[in-house]
Amino acid sequence: MKALWTVCMKELRELSRDRRTLMLALVMGPLVVPALLLGMLTLAQSRTKSQIDKPLQIAIVGADRAPELVKWLAAEGIERKQLASDPDAAIRSQDEDAYVRIGDDFGKDWQAGNPALVEIVHDSTRQDSAIPVKRIENALQRYGQQVGALRLLARGINPAVAAPLSVAHKDLSTPEARRGMVMAFLPYLLILSAFVGGAYLIIDTTAGERERQSLEPLLATPASRGAIVSGKIVAASLVGLATLLLTLLALKVGAQFVPGIGKMMDVRMLAIAKMLLILLPMLFIGTALLTFIAAGAKSVKEAQSYMSMLMLLPIVPTVMLMVSPIRTQLWQYTVPFLAQNQMLMKVIRSEPVEALEWAVYFGAGFGVAALLWFAATRRYRQERLAIST
Amino acid sequence: MITAEHLRKTFPGKGKDKTPVVAVDDVGFEARDGEITGLLGPNGAGKTTTLRMLYSLMAPESGRIMVDGRDVAADPVAARRALGVLPDARGVYKRLTARENIQYFGELHGLPRAIIDTRIGKLAAALQMEDFLDRQTEGFSQGQRTKTAIARALVHDPRNVILDEPTNGLDVMTTRGLRGFLKDLRAEGRCVIFSSHIMQEVAALCDRIVVIAHGRVAAQGTPDELRAQAGHDNLEDAFVTLIGSDEGLHA
Repeated sequence: MKALWTVCMKELRELSRDRRTLMLALVMGPLVVPALLLGMLTLAQSRTKSQIDKPLQIAIVGADRAPELVKWLAAEGIERKQLASDPDAAIRSQDEDAYVRIGDDFGKDWQAGNPALVEIVHDSTRQDSAIPVKRIENALQRYGQQVGALRLLARGINPAVAAPLSVAHKDLSTPEARRGMVMAFLPYLLILSAFVGGAYLIIDTTAGERERQSLEPLLATPASRGAIVSGKIVAASLVGLATLLLTLLALKVGAQFVPGIGKMMDVRMLAIAKMLLILLPMLFIGTALLTFIAAGAKSVKEAQSYMSMLMLLPIVPTVMLMVSPIRTQLWQYTVPFLAQNQMLMKVIRSEPVEALEWAVYFGAGFGVAALLWFAATRRYRQERLAIST
Repeated sequence: MITAEHLRKTFPGKGKDKTPVVAVDDVGFEARDGEITGLLGPNGAGKTTTLRMLYSLMAPESGRIMVDGRDVAADPVAARRALGVLPDARGVYKRLTARENIQYFGELHGLPRAIIDTRIGKLAAALQMEDFLDRQTEGFSQGQRTKTAIARALVHDPRNVILDEPTNGLDVMTTRGLRGFLKDLRAEGRCVIFSSHIMQEVAALCDRIVVIAHGRVAAQGTPDELRAQAGHDNLEDAFVTLIGSDEGLHA
C-alpha cells in the first residue's frame, strides 16, 4: 500500500515537471471540449436564426412580368435584389443561394387562368440553399393557394372544395433539431475525455518506462508488481479526474455565455457533480485498459498506435443511438460506453435516475474496471515484461 | 552470500526456427561474503540471464538460488531486500534529480526518510557525485547516470551486490573510481558479483572468477587456480584456452 502511494506520488511529481504536457492535459483538454460544443451550438443557432428570420434577398428574373407576385413576396420577407452578373453563374460560383425566374409567358398564362410558370433555381447539393429554397417555395405555394381560392370564390365555388387535405408542414431544420444533433455529441465528448484522460501518463509510465530502460531496476525492488502498476493507474486516474473536473467546470462557465443553453441542458452544480460521478467508472476503465495494452507494448510509439482505435470505441453507441434510437432498458446500464451515454443523457435532460439504475450502472462499471485492473497487474507479473531489449 | 545451483533457462525460439534457445545451462557457483566474484564471458554467453535469475527477475527452469542461505524462489521479496542490483538496463528518471531518483528507490524499499538521507550522503561521497546530486538527470553523462543507478541500487545498504557490466561505456577515470568503490564494498564484508566481458578488469578486481561460455560454466576458481587449470602463466591465454576461442573477450 505504501509502495503504491510512493509510485503514484513519483509519477505525479515527474508529470508536474513536464510543463508542456501538464498544460495540454489540464488546460487545453478541458477547454477544447466546451469550446467545440458551445461553438457548434452557437454557430448552428445563429445560422438557422439568420436564415429563418432575416429578410431574404434574392434575384427575380422577369420581375416585370409579375409585379403583384413580387410585391407579395416582399411582404413575406423575400425581397428582390438586382444582380449584375448572370444569375446561373452566381449560383454556380456559390455567390447566391437561389433565385426565382418568372416564366416568359407568365402574363399570358395568368390572364388565361392556366398554370403560370415560376422557377426556383438552386443547387440542391448545397446544404446552405435548403432553407432559402424552402422559404421561397412555401411563399409561392401560399400565394398560389390564395389566388386560387380567390378565383374559385369569383366563380361562386367554396375554395375548401379544392382543398380536400389540410397538410401541415413541420420544418425539420428547426433550431431545436440542430441543437439536438449537437447535444448528442456532448456525451461522446465527455466519455472520450474520461476514457483517454489519463492516456498520456499511462503510456509514458508503462511503455515509456520500458523504453527508457528504467523498468528492470524498478522491478528488482521489493515493491510488489501489483502495487507498482496500481500506483501508476491511481496517478493516471487522478490526472484524468482533474481533467474531467476542469472540463465540466469549463462547460458550466461556458454555458453562461451562450444564451438559452440552460433550456437545453442541465448545468446546475448538482448535475455537474452527477456527470462527474457517472464518468468515474469510465475513467477507471480507460486507464486500466490502457495500462493493460501499454504494458505489453515495447515502446511509446507502439502503445500510441493502439490509441487511434481506442478513440473510436466511445463513438460506437453514440452513432448507434443517432442512427436507430432505442428505448432505454436496464441492461443498457451494464454496457460500457452505452451506459455512460444513457446516464449522461438523462442528467443533461434533467430526467431522474432510479436508484436501481445507479446500482446497476456502478456495479457493472466498476466491475469491468476491476477486471481490467486485474488483467493489467497480471500482465505486469509476466517475465518478459522486464526485459527492455 | 549467493549460491547458484544447476541453473537452466531457455527462451522460445523466434522466426521460422522454433527451436528453443538455451541461454543458460547448468550454471552453478558460489559468491562469498567479503569477496568479489566475477562473471567473465563473451557477449551472449548468458551472463545477464544468469544475473537476472539471481535477482529473481526471471525464474530458472531448474536449479536453485540461495541468498544468505534463503531460497529465492520461496521468498523473492526477502531476497530482493538482501540484494542491491545494477541491471543491464540502467535508465534513470530524467525529470527527477539524482537525489530524487535514489530517494524513490529507498522509499520502495520501505526505508524511513532519515535513513535514506544519511545513506544518500554516504553513497554520494563514496561515488563522488555530490556536484550533480541535485541536478535533474536529463543530460547526464554516461558516468553520472551509472553512478546514480549504482547509488539507488545500494540505498538500502544490502549485504549482497550484483552489478551487470558496471563499467560499460565509462571512461578510464570513472572506471578507476568504480573499481575503488567495489573494493570498498568488499572491505565492508559484502558479497559482490559483477559481470564483464573485459578480461583485464576481471583479473584486476576479482577474488574468484566464473568463466561462462555458451551458457555453461567453462571454469571457475581464483585467478591462480585458473592459470594452473589451463596450463598458462598468462591469464589471457588461460581464458582463451578455457573458453575455447578468443572471440569477444576484448574490450
